[in-house]
Parts: sequence; C-alpha cells; structure tokens
Amino acid sequence: MEAFIVFFTRYLPAFADGFLITTWVAALAAPTAMIWALVLIIPRLARWKWLTRLVDGYVEIMRNSPLLVQMYLLYFGLPLLGIFWSSIVCGVIAIALQHGAFLSEILRSGIQSLSQRQWEAGSAIGLRRSAVIRLVILPQAFIRVLPALGNQLIVLVKDTSLVSAIGVMDLTLTGKVTIERSGASFEAFIAVAMFYLVLTTVLGLALRVVEVRAARRYG
Amino acid sequence: MFPVLQSSLPYLLQGAVYTIVLSAIVVVFGTILGVGVGVLAAVGGKALRAAVTAYIFVFRGIPVLVVMFLGFYSFPAMGLRLDAYTAVAVSMIVYVAAFVAEATRGAIAAVPAGQLEAAKSLGMRKGMMMREIILPQAMRLLIAPVLNISLMAIKQTSYASIVGAWELSFAAREVVERTLAAFQIFLGVMIIYFVICYPLSLAARALEKRLAFDH
Repeated sequence: MEAFIVFFTRYLPAFADGFLITTWVAALAAPTAMIWALVLIIPRLARWKWLTRLVDGYVEIMRNSPLLVQMYLLYFGLPLLGIFWSSIVCGVIAIALQHGAFLSEILRSGIQSLSQRQWEAGSAIGLRRSAVIRLVILPQAFIRVLPALGNQLIVLVKDTSLVSAIGVMDLTLTGKVTIERSGASFEAFIAVAMFYLVLTTVLGLALRVVEVRAARRYG
Repeated sequence: MFPVLQSSLPYLLQGAVYTIVLSAIVVVFGTILGVGVGVLAAVGGKALRAAVTAYIFVFRGIPVLVVMFLGFYSFPAMGLRLDAYTAVAVSMIVYVAAFVAEATRGAIAAVPAGQLEAAKSLGMRKGMMMREIILPQAMRLLIAPVLNISLMAIKQTSYASIVGAWELSFAAREVVERTLAAFQIFLGVMIIYFVICYPLSLAARALEKRLAFDH
C-alpha cells in the first residue's frame, strides 16, 4: 500500500495529463455523436424512404461491429485517400460515428413511444410537420429517453480508452507507458482504473441530477 | 475485386475462430458467474450484498480495456503465468459477470411482489422460494439482457488484440501491416464481426418485443 502511494504521487502528473486527454476526447466526441444522431433521424422524420433504409443499414453495421475495427479503418484507411488526420481526430470521429448510431436508435425509440395524438394535436393547431417535430415531438422524446442517453454517454466515456490503440496519450496509454518506464506493473492500471471510476461516477451523478430536474420540470 | 481480402480470407477466418472461441468462453462463464453473484446478493446478508454492489459498481465504471490490462499485468504478480489470450479471457469473464450480476438483480427485483407473498403464505422457506418461485420467472426476464451483454462482449473481444492476444482484429492488423490494404481488410473484418453479431442482435430484439407484450 505504501509503495503504491509513493508510486502514485510520483507519477501523478503523468496520470493527470492522461486524465485531461481522456476528458478532452470525451468532451469532443459526445456532442459530435449527439449531432450525428440528430442528423441520422432526419430521413425517418422527413419520410425519405431510400435514405431511411440507408441509415438503417448504417446503424445496424455500426451497432454490430467493434468500435476498434471502425477506428482502425479510419486511422489506417484515410491516409490511403490522401487524408492525414491526427490520431485524436480519427479517434473522436470513430467514436462519434458509432455512438451516433446508438444514440439515434435511442432517440427513435423515444419518438416511437410518443402517442400518435401528439402529432395530431400539433397539426390541429396549425403547425407544419417540421414545426411539430421541432416543438412537440423532439423535446418530449428527448426528456423521455434522457436516462438511456445518459447511460450511452457513460459507455462513450469508457470507449475513449480505445484511442490508446491508435497512439493518443490518454489515461490508458499513460498506464502502459508508465509500466514501461517505472518497472511497476499492475499498480499503474489500478491508478488508471481509479481515475476512470472517478470520471464515470461524477458523470453518472451529474446525469442523475439532470434527470431528476428534467422529470420534475417536464415530467 | 478485392484481391488482398480474398487471399487473406482463410487467415482472417482462422482469427474469427479464435474470436468466437474467446467470446463463447467469456459469455458462458461470465453468465454463470454473474447469475451466481446476482443470486447470492439476493439471498445473502447485508455484508454480502454490499460486496456485490461494490463489485458491480467498480467494474461497470471502468473500461474493459483497462480491466484487460489490469489482468494481464496482475496475474504474473500473483505468480500465475498466463498467456495473453487466457489473461484476457479471465479478465473479461470477471468484467462481463458484473454486468450480468446487475441484470440478475434487476430481473429478481422485477418478479412481482405478489409472487413472493403467495410463496410466503404457503410457508416456503427463503431457499425454496428462490429456487421454485423467483428464479424461474427471473431467468425468463434475464434472457434478453444477457443476449445484449453477450453482444457487447463479442465486440469487446476485439480489444484483446491491443493487449496482445491473437484473434480476428490482431490478424487484421497483421495483414494490413503487410499489405497496406486497410480498406479491404478492415471493412471485410467489420463484415465478419457483423455476421457473428447480427443474428444475436435480431434474437435479442425479438425477445424484447415478445416479453414486452406479456405485460
């Protein structure tokens, strides 16, 4: 235990840097994924049949193959097209592409769970379909699936650990590098695990507060 | 049309076999351990319940990749000489079991209270009540969540390649390093994973729907 504390304090700056990078990747990927999810449900709401089918296919492939391989595809594939993005950008985009698919499924289930009368009521007071979606459907669906969106966000934070595989110096890679440098072994990953636990717990608590507030205000 | 993918397909499929075997081991033992832990928490005392809660909280809060590294580096420190594949398998079993345990607790809690009261009024003891009344109903509720957890686990076996265990994703990286055909290979590998996962995905969705209609 004492050895662990000595090790921990000695390498704290490195872990803190890794922690910041992990937070940064998550902070970039989460809003990007959410925006992508909203884009993905547009064809269904606008009743563009072919595009809806295309999106459905995309969502199925994203949901049923590993994020790591998708990330490799971007990171090793894009340079062949003459596109040289940094590993952090590739990582963020890969995460957003997969999590956008998951989030759009969640939003879709929220929209489907609303009563048909909401649509009818909206058009009965003279709103156009686009206005009904924007003012009536989406806000209610969003509140309803807030817990599911929050869970997905926590999965996203944990998935940022994969950017270590393409060379981003996040918490996970910091753990590995520290082992090589310090001669410590699993202690490094106990420290890494603690940092992730703090991150996901704080985020989970914050999301809980948001959920309770939203339920009280709109529920 | 895709010469590199065609010529390396046998190699990749061999990797897919390793992926499937790893997935099967993780899913089977993870489910057994997870259900066991979940049931133990339901019948056990306060201390046991607290321990299970802590276990679930910790493992659900950290990335599986970190758990793999943790296992990979701690087994030698415990005097166990395991290869990367086994280390990953053991780590993943413990990780997946935490999710299954949480689902088991949820399924047990979802059995209507009236069932419990009826069993009590028949004079059943706790163990018998669990075995005869609660568990059979809870297990039914557990099938769809466990399928979803299995899907998660199958996709996560690809992270084993980062720790150094040879399976489909590792094989894919080897081929790409040799041939630079990143698009063909990684797209092909995504399709192989899709073929493995999609039937399970459909089954999970169908079950969810069927169970939803029961209520």
